[in-house]
Amino acid sequence: MIALALHALRRAIFAISIAAIFVVFVGPIAILGVTSIRPASGVFYIWRGTNFTFNNFVEVLHQSQVVEAMWNSFVLSTSATILSLGITVGSGYMLSRFGGWIQRSWFATIYIFRTVPYISWVLPLYLVNTRLGIYDTYVGLLLPHIAVHVCFFSWLMKGFFDGINPSMEYAALIDGCTRWGAFYRVALPAAMPGIAALAILCWLSTWNEFLFALILSGKRTPLITSTMAQFVTETGTEWNLMSATAVLAMMPALLVTIFGQKYVIRGLRM
Amino acid sequence: MTARSTKFGVDEKERFMLFLIAPAGIVLVCFEIIPILIGMNASFREWSLVNPQRTWVGPKQYIAVFTDPVFLKMVLPNTFVLMILSVGVSLALGLALASLLNRPFFGRAIMRTIILLPLTIAPVITATMMRWSFNDQFGVITIFLSYLGLPDVAWLSDRWPSFALVIMTDIWIWTPWFTIILLAAMQGLPPEPFEAARIDAATPWCIFRRVTLPMLRPVIIVCVLIRAIDAFRTFDQVWILTGGGPARSTEVFSVYAYVLAFVDLDIGRAAAAAGIGALIMLFVGVGLYRLVNRSMEVSR
Repeated sequence: MIALALHALRRAIFAISIAAIFVVFVGPIAILGVTSIRPASGVFYIWRGTNFTFNNFVEVLHQSQVVEAMWNSFVLSTSATILSLGITVGSGYMLSRFGGWIQRSWFATIYIFRTVPYISWVLPLYLVNTRLGIYDTYVGLLLPHIAVHVCFFSWLMKGFFDGINPSMEYAALIDGCTRWGAFYRVALPAAMPGIAALAILCWLSTWNEFLFALILSGKRTPLITSTMAQFVTETGTEWNLMSATAVLAMMPALLVTIFGQKYVIRGLRM
Repeated sequence: MTARSTKFGVDEKERFMLFLIAPAGIVLVCFEIIPILIGMNASFREWSLVNPQRTWVGPKQYIAVFTDPVFLKMVLPNTFVLMILSVGVSLALGLALASLLNRPFFGRAIMRTIILLPLTIAPVITATMMRWSFNDQFGVITIFLSYLGLPDVAWLSDRWPSFALVIMTDIWIWTPWFTIILLAAMQGLPPEPFEAARIDAATPWCIFRRVTLPMLRPVIIVCVLIRAIDAFRTFDQVWILTGGGPARSTEVFSVYAYVLAFVDLDIGRAAAAAGIGALIMLFVGVGLYRLVNRSMEVSR
C-alpha cells in the first residue's frame, strides 16, 4: 500500500516538474504571441477575452524598414552560411586529419581568437569599414560574420570529421587518388549530413546576431535584430507592433525547431 | 583519432595543409587580426568621432579605464557575477533537466522540441519578451507574482532586480544548451555500470553522484569552458533589457565598451576598454584550456 502510494507520489512529482518546465519555456513565448495579436488598446490588460486582431502584422509588414530588414537578414544569413561553410570545411578537415606544427598552431590561433570578445574587434572594424566605404553594405556585414564563423565552425567541423573513420580516404590515396581528391570525393560526401546540421546552425546564428548588426549596419542595410532593438529602445510603448515584429523575426527559429530538430541537435552535440 | 600518417611526403603534405586553411586564414587575418591591431593602435590615442585629431597619448586611456569607478565597481564585478552565476546555474539546471528527460514518457518528443526553442530564438527577441513579461505595470509575470501575494518588485528600475532579470534571461537561454548536450552524453553512456549499481541497491541519487557525474565529467568540463568564454561577452540581453541602467549599474564589459564608443563617441578609450577585455579573456581562455587538458588527462 505504502509502496503504491509512494509510486503514485513520485509519478505526480515527475508530471508536475515536466509541466513546470513546459510553462517556463513556453510561457514567455506564448505571452509574446498573444500580445502580437492584441489590438493596441488591449495590450495593457491581461484578460481581454477573445479580442484578437491580425492588424499588427499587416501594419508591421507595411513598414518598409521591417520588410527590408528581414530581406537583408535573409540574404546575409544565406550568403554567410554558404561562404563560411565553404571556407571552414577545409580548415576543419585539416585540423582533424593532419598533425604537426601547422595543425597545432592553426588550432591555437582559432582557439585564441575564439576567446576574443566580439566588441574588441568589431569596434575597430567599424573604423575599417567606414574608411573602406563598405560600412552599412552587404560586403561590410558579410565578411566580419564569416570571420567569426571561421573560429566557431572550424572547431565544430574538426569534431565532426573526428567522428568519421578515415580508412576510406586512405584506401582512396592508395588507389592513386590525390590528397585533394581524397578530401573532395571521399571525405566531403561522407561529411554532408554534418555539414547540413552546421548549415542550419550557421544560418540561425547569423540571423540572430545582434552586436555586429548594431555596430556595422545602418539605415541603408538594416538587419532584423537591430531593427527590433530600435523598436524596443526608441518606441518602447507600442508593444503590440513590437511583438508582431518579434514573432515574424522568430519564424525561422520556429520552423527550424519544428522541422529541422534532428539537425539542430546534431549540430549542437558536435 | 587524428590520422598522423607517415606515408605522405612532408613538403607536399604541408603544402596541402596550408592550402586547406588558406581561405579561412586570409579572412581571419583581414577581418579579425588586422582590426584588433588597429584597435590596439587606437587605444593609445586621443581619438573621438567628434574630434578626429588622433594624438598619441601613450597608456593614458588604459589608466583612465582602470581608474574609472564605473569600470571597477560595476562593470568588472557584474561581468564575472554574470559569468559565474549563468554558467553555474545553467549547468546545474541542465543536469537536472537532462536526467529528468533521460527516460521514456508520454510527450517526451514535444519536450525536446520545446527545449530547443530558447536556443534558436534570437537573444534580442528573448530579451524583448522578458522585458515585456516583467514590465513594471503591465507585465504578465509581474501581475501574476503580485496576484500570488508576493511583494511588488520594480524589475527594471533597481539595480539588483534588473541584474537578476538579466541573469535569469541568460539562464533561460543557456539551460537548454546544457540539457541537450548532457542528455546526448547520458544516452551514450554504457549501461553496465548502472546495472551493477542497481544490483548493489544504490539509491538513484547515489547512482547520479557516483556513476553518472564522473562519467559525464569530460563533457561537462568542455561545456563549461565554451560557455564561460561566451558568457564573458554577453551583450544582447543586457542591452535590450536594461541598456546597462539604471545609472549604469548593470553594465557588463561589452556594454561598457559599446557605450564608450557609440554614446560617448570616445573611440580611443573604448578601444582601450576593449583591449583590456580581450587581454582578460586571453588569460582566462588559456588558463581554462590548461585546466581542461590537465583534468582530461587525470580522468582518462
